[in-house]
Amino acid sequence: MADINDYMQRLLKSKEIDVSGKRARLVDEFIADEDNIFTFEQIISNQQILIDRFMNKLKVYDIINQHLQIPNGTVDKYYEYKFDLIKLGKGEIIFSDLEYPEDFGLTYNNETETLSGIPKQSGDFKINFLFRIKGENHHTDTHRKPISLIINADPKSLWKNIPSDEGKDDAWKIANFWKPDNENAFEKLGPKKIVVASKRGRSHANVGSFRDDHFAYKFLESNGWSIVCVADGAGSAKLSRQGSKIACEAVIEYFENNMTQEISDSIDEIARFYETRNQPPANQPEIENPGSAALQNSEETKEQAANTTPLTETETTIQTDPAAEIQKKIKLFLYNNLGKASFAAHKKLADFAKEQNCQLKDLHSTLIFALFKKYESGYAVLTFGVGDCPIGLINQDFTALKLMNWLDVGEFGGGTRFITMPEIFTSEKFPTRFNFEFISDFSYLVLMTDGIYDPKFVVEANLEKLEAWKGFINDLDGTNDANAKVEFNADNHEIANQLSEWMDFWSPGNHDDRTLAIVF
Amino acid sequence: MYGEPIQALNNALSSMVNTLRSDAHALDSLWISIVTFDREVNELVPLTELASFQLPEIVCPQSGPTHTGKALEMLYQKVKNEVIKGDATQKGDWKPLLFLFTDGKPNDLQLYREMVPKIQSLNFGAIVCCAAGNLADDSLLKELTSDVLHLDTADSATLKQFFKWVSETIEQGNKSQGTGESMALPPPPKEITIVI
Repeated sequence: MADINDYMQRLLKSKEIDVSGKRARLVDEFIADEDNIFTFEQIISNQQILIDRFMNKLKVYDIINQHLQIPNGTVDKYYEYKFDLIKLGKGEIIFSDLEYPEDFGLTYNNETETLSGIPKQSGDFKINFLFRIKGENHHTDTHRKPISLIINADPKSLWKNIPSDEGKDDAWKIANFWKPDNENAFEKLGPKKIVVASKRGRSHANVGSFRDDHFAYKFLESNGWSIVCVADGAGSAKLSRQGSKIACEAVIEYFENNMTQEISDSIDEIARFYETRNQPPANQPEIENPGSAALQNSEETKEQAANTTPLTETETTIQTDPAAEIQKKIKLFLYNNLGKASFAAHKKLADFAKEQNCQLKDLHSTLIFALFKKYESGYAVLTFGVGDCPIGLINQDFTALKLMNWLDVGEFGGGTRFITMPEIFTSEKFPTRFNFEFISDFSYLVLMTDGIYDPKFVVEANLEKLEAWKGFINDLDGTNDANAKVEFNADNHEIANQLSEWMDFWSPGNHDDRTLAIVF
Repeated sequence: MYGEPIQALNNALSSMVNTLRSDAHALDSLWISIVTFDREVNELVPLTELASFQLPEIVCPQSGPTHTGKALEMLYQKVKNEVIKGDATQKGDWKPLLFLFTDGKPNDLQLYREMVPKIQSLNFGAIVCCAAGNLADDSLLKELTSDVLHLDTADSATLKQFFKWVSETIEQGNKSQGTGESMALPPPPKEITIVI
């Protein structure tokens, strides 16, 4: 009975009772007594009960105060979270349940210790994790651990669609350069057909602001050329909707007025060269900037450029190689015509800014355009581009694709260059903004704004992959979540509406205006 | 910052996050990181998309130095490593926005001044400093950015207004703009003084 002896000795000492010398024998007798042994055992047992109770309290406290973050959910999206009771309760939890609002959408299964279901409403919910630990039974009240559960709204449900002209009259529309929120068209364009749709992005619809994108197209009957323009006004510029419109219309107007018989003849001559050779140029022509001296800088640039004398072949060195010669001719043609058309757009924008007493950057817009004409054995396709909108040309049997322009894409999302920036005309890269292709026939000539390119191609590198374009055309053909299908058939008079519907596709983070023009 | 002001800050931050959560654009594209700084610099929440973001309570010591420079140093590394820059094969993030909130002045002034040009070189879409109370030093913050706001009091109502404005600024941040151009901030509410 060492234990009882120890216990008595410590007890007597703590009470300062002297049991030294002859008194020691009294203790030995005392602890041998059965009644005393019984009392001692009761004390020990009661101590254990107190300690056990305290330890339980401590365990419960630790469980309640242990940091527990459960993942956020989203309305209408399946949610599942399995509580890790071992980790949470260090193996002490023997029963669990969850207390949550009615009509919550989620339920707790205490067999699998899982909270799951489809959340019905968004908000920051306070739910209670109820539990018992070892040593407790079903009579014991459960303990409560409050937990915060965030349910995000379904992102789709948050977008509003406020018409940009809600409650406005015609005078307001004119004064504010209003344009329809959605536009689409299907028409014959020379020897081909064009289907085009332009839709206001959700980010604009959400706040009732304008569509900033624009498109325009035209067939010039006198010489057989077709022109397609697409422009994307900058979201950060307050009059960009008008900027993109002016840019597109200026290009059409330029060619209407300046595509003279003489100029058309000169490109016909180039086209005939490829017809006889029946192959495209070996490389994209390495164009230097022949007019950079004329297109110097800022304000005076504009006047000078308007008066720039067209470059003539006399300025070029004599070439004996006909292919090199023809490339020189192409570069001259592109610079003298498409270059001037793009500059005409810039000039129109500058004039408009002056007239409106606003800054040119308030009209920021990208601009891409393509001209094409049918010859006996093929099509000549000429393009220009500034900004982040691609032009793709796909051959007849879909075995080759040419990305006609490079994109102005910055390090950061949304950064690009605009036709409104005077520096693009003086940059050494200006001549590389043009392109020329002679192709026996094409299945699709596609012009799009970044509202389409961003979600569908994601990065520039994909624009040069035939596979990515195949995926894109398949997507248009109905391979998509919404089962939206655009039937490319010359007799399909629903095609413009089909394209417009297809363009409602959902892509997280991509809610810009969308414009897509397809010549087929 | 402690006591009522920090409580007010926590409440205001929480309602800002709730506001952003109900913004369609933000819920789709916003990522948030929170770095606190006093004597210690602590990345309270690593860069997290808004949909998964959970706001912890911010606690500050009652007194002690304000290591703003050290905070900027950490921030510089984080932005360098975590913000994705676009190239031909990957999509770039939108320009990050920096909101710095303080009621003190940098005690590590030398490091602070070393970090200022580095932070500016990161090409933030906007850097907004908010000085709260009479101990905050506006002129030092002006060295970091031209957008310095001053709140005379850090009470609930003022802070709510301020963070409402912050969320409007955030919502402005995802619009296409010319490379190299800076974004225009929305007009701040009247409770807030813009330091010129």
